[in-house]
Amino acid sequence: MALLSETAKVEGLVRKPVATPSAWQAWRYRLKVALREPTTLVGVLTALIFTYLIVVPIISIVLDAVRVQFGHERRLGKDVGDLTLYYIDRAFFSPVAHDLFWRPLFNTLTVALGAISLSLVIGTVLAWLISRTDMFGRRWFATALIVPYMLPAWTFALAWTTLFKNRTIGGQPGWFEAMGFTPPDWVAYGRFPITIILALHYTPFVILLFGSALRRFDSQLEDSARILGAHRYQVAIQIIMPLMRPALLSSMVLIFAKCLGEFGVPYVLGLPVKFEVLSTSLFRSIASRQTGVAGVVAASIMLIGIITLMIDARLVREARRFVTIGSKGSMNRQSRLGKMRLPATGFAATVFILSVGLPLLTLALSTVMKMPAKFTLDNFTLDYWIGTDLHTVALQTGILLSPELWAAAKNTMMIVGLASLVSGVLGLLVGYVVIRTPVRALSVYLRQVTFLPYLVPGIAFAAAYLSLFAVPRGPMPALYGTVTILILALIADQMPYASRAGISAMTQLGKDPEEAAQIAGAGWFRRMISIVIPIQKGSLVTGVLLPFISGIKGLSLFVILAVPSTDVLTTYSLRLVDYHYTQAANAVVLIIAAIAYFGTLLAQKLTRTNLAEGLGS
Amino acid sequence: MPTINLRGAQKNYGVNSANAVSDLDLEIRDGEFMCLLGPSGCGKTTTLRMIAGLENLSGGEIRVGDRVIDSVADGIFIPPEKREMGLVFQSYALWPHLTIERNTDFGLRLRKLPKAEREARVERVMQALDIAKYRDRYPSQLSGGQQQRVALARMLAVNPGVLLLDEPLSNLDARLRLEMRAELKRLHKEFKTTIVFVTHDQWEAMTLATTIAVMNEGTLQQMGTPDDIYDRPANRFVAEFVGSPPINILTFGKPGASDIADKAETYCAARYPQLRGIGSIGMRPEAMGYAAKIDDVPQGSFSGEMTVTGVLPTGGSWILELRSENHTLFLTTHALPRVDSGDRVFFHVPAEALHVFDADGQRITEADALLRSSTYN
Repeated sequence: MALLSETAKVEGLVRKPVATPSAWQAWRYRLKVALREPTTLVGVLTALIFTYLIVVPIISIVLDAVRVQFGHERRLGKDVGDLTLYYIDRAFFSPVAHDLFWRPLFNTLTVALGAISLSLVIGTVLAWLISRTDMFGRRWFATALIVPYMLPAWTFALAWTTLFKNRTIGGQPGWFEAMGFTPPDWVAYGRFPITIILALHYTPFVILLFGSALRRFDSQLEDSARILGAHRYQVAIQIIMPLMRPALLSSMVLIFAKCLGEFGVPYVLGLPVKFEVLSTSLFRSIASRQTGVAGVVAASIMLIGIITLMIDARLVREARRFVTIGSKGSMNRQSRLGKMRLPATGFAATVFILSVGLPLLTLALSTVMKMPAKFTLDNFTLDYWIGTDLHTVALQTGILLSPELWAAAKNTMMIVGLASLVSGVLGLLVGYVVIRTPVRALSVYLRQVTFLPYLVPGIAFAAAYLSLFAVPRGPMPALYGTVTILILALIADQMPYASRAGISAMTQLGKDPEEAAQIAGAGWFRRMISIVIPIQKGSLVTGVLLPFISGIKGLSLFVILAVPSTDVLTTYSLRLVDYHYTQAANAVVLIIAAIAYFGTLLAQKLTRTNLAEGLGS
Repeated sequence: MPTINLRGAQKNYGVNSANAVSDLDLEIRDGEFMCLLGPSGCGKTTTLRMIAGLENLSGGEIRVGDRVIDSVADGIFIPPEKREMGLVFQSYALWPHLTIERNTDFGLRLRKLPKAEREARVERVMQALDIAKYRDRYPSQLSGGQQQRVALARMLAVNPGVLLLDEPLSNLDARLRLEMRAELKRLHKEFKTTIVFVTHDQWEAMTLATTIAVMNEGTLQQMGTPDDIYDRPANRFVAEFVGSPPINILTFGKPGASDIADKAETYCAARYPQLRGIGSIGMRPEAMGYAAKIDDVPQGSFSGEMTVTGVLPTGGSWILELRSENHTLFLTTHALPRVDSGDRVFFHVPAEALHVFDADGQRITEADALLRSSTYN
């Protein structure tokens, strides 16, 4: 009879069937599970904060573009806040549209395309030399050639003016002018130097992205083609190029997006010859209180930025299709350069000298020389650093003794430091909620809203903040001119990196260690304090340090939102540039560059992460 | 811990996705060593996580004794940290920032036990699992097998009512796996804990479990002792999943499936006429024999003539591959085969070793009895 019991046993398990829960019961149960832990609550709170800090300012500036602004009621015959197409018409179709929008747009596009082409040519060659050849000093170059990216772009702009400034504008002449050769305007200012500088600054993008694609490339794929009878050039065109295309396109798109928001370089080098790009045009509109037009320009920049990055997202998806191709045993065979070994090394060295050595040396020398390009001993002085009782109208001490520098440094540390700390912590929290919340919609929303500032160039974002917080709204007092607006804008601006770092850290952690603690009997706060935060210490440090570095060298947010009392190092140096205190300005820029560079090194040391991960910050 | 009862337990990960677990009834009695066995994606790990409270239900309820700990209809959900269960993760999930001793001590600290007792209990499990010498090391300094022991110790220290193990041996090499199997059996005796163990490895299940629950596609296929599962599979899925080489199946009445299958149908229908035209039979390779001449085939057994197409030594035993026009059968023998590829042989299998399934693949238990008690020769 025991034999008969098999089916009976299975059937026997199905005793009283449990009724299917009604929709209401299922919903109540899910709600109970969702609210059991603070995760969802924290998620809702952060979602609200970011809606206010990110979404609302963007909506506000877009609305500015289509609503009558203060001071225009008479001319437009409408009340403040009424809908109007006047600003759009003015920016796009009026007689001044050419100066306000179209010419800056054309300049932005041509500069960006020039910079992209140049950096692609230099970058791909360097990436190949570094990752696939036996060039001398490959390892050293792999780090050294990335340095331009760690420094603020307008460091190079200042170095350029130090060298090439001509008699077109006042102040101390450039070295070449001082030596008797007057550089023509097209060399000294405008499109040519801006393109060159942006190209050198963003070449590391290509080296990193293209280089890592090359390193992942499986040599067996080449070998298979060779064995089937393909020539070297056929392999290059039919196998390597198609597989490298996503990486190349992606770096192009990223460089374009970066050029779109670049402010410092065109400001320093473009203004003397009235060479305007979109970001400087936006700055001018804001400076001249053309809020409505500023809204139109800012919205246009955002739109271009969003379209560009959507293209990039597509490319990344496409690239992912290729990822599976690389096998585990992928070999990274090196090409022997033979006779070309020395010239190749020379090429890399030249790029390094032009993009790092020369600019920094120029800047450093300029801060210890009274007269430009006069290399006699009596011309050298440390007065600009540590001198006292100098015979100048203002800034009568060396820069290191000037209270303004220290005030700016203090402001920088406080504003950028606080903002980075907050965004680092918020980033980890967002990462936690995104990965853990049972409410999917919340996870998706948080992920997307914190990424939004990435699509918006900093200058447009700053304009959005100005538009929202310049006047009191609801319970919020007017924040313009306060430290608060800078901190808030910085936090929002840094969220893409902070939240991305948090999400990837939480993904890597997985849920096992936390669930194990849960099983052991630990509640939410206990798990946070004993498990999650101690394990995530490293990424928390990166999550604070990387935004800090990008904040230190950031200019576009501050230039719009900072006022003299909230001067930070970057705006302070820009002010010195405006007043033609060349040596002092260069000194401050060197200080910023040093902080950014050593900060990056520190971040790498602390977390053993690769620079490529901080890419785009 | 009192009996754990899952009733109509259901899980789906989205409105439109298929159920990971559907309408599952499961009873885990005190002191049992139960294995959830099934192919990957059958819902066994999900079931384990539902018991632990790490997955919430989409329907049904879970009780411990008379106490409902999870129910959609009643809106009850006891969180994992209050269920007093232990779970060893497949990845071990040791806390990388705590030493082995602190890892083991973690749960006891949470329970705010006096220091002396904590130390005694940590000592006891560390001794039992032979990890006391690593107490000051960090998890990354231990090998996989040692980490496994720490993961077990960490859970045993709090003396949980039930210990849930999620494929705990799958990351170990063959030798360690054997050692840990013995270890688990010993721990089960020593700590007298109820153990629920998830695995896709049938031998692990066979050697360890007192009860095996075979799952497939989110539903329970059969629950029984290891012998039940192997000797009396409730359906074709269980029959084919358990056993290696897998059971040989001959389907009746399939068009074109002549020769051996027809013979099988005739053979069975002669003893149990209802079988004509429906169902299939299964023959375990280990239950089969072979003979070179028809005269050597035992009386009353089911047999057929086939060609040897392969002799595969497996170390101590051999697998013969036999082919006819439409079928390939495997049989296992422990004596050195005196046949070679191309030879014609007669396989044979005694009537009581045949497993008979109906058209839906369910075991026909009445057929068992009839085939077995048959006096027909």
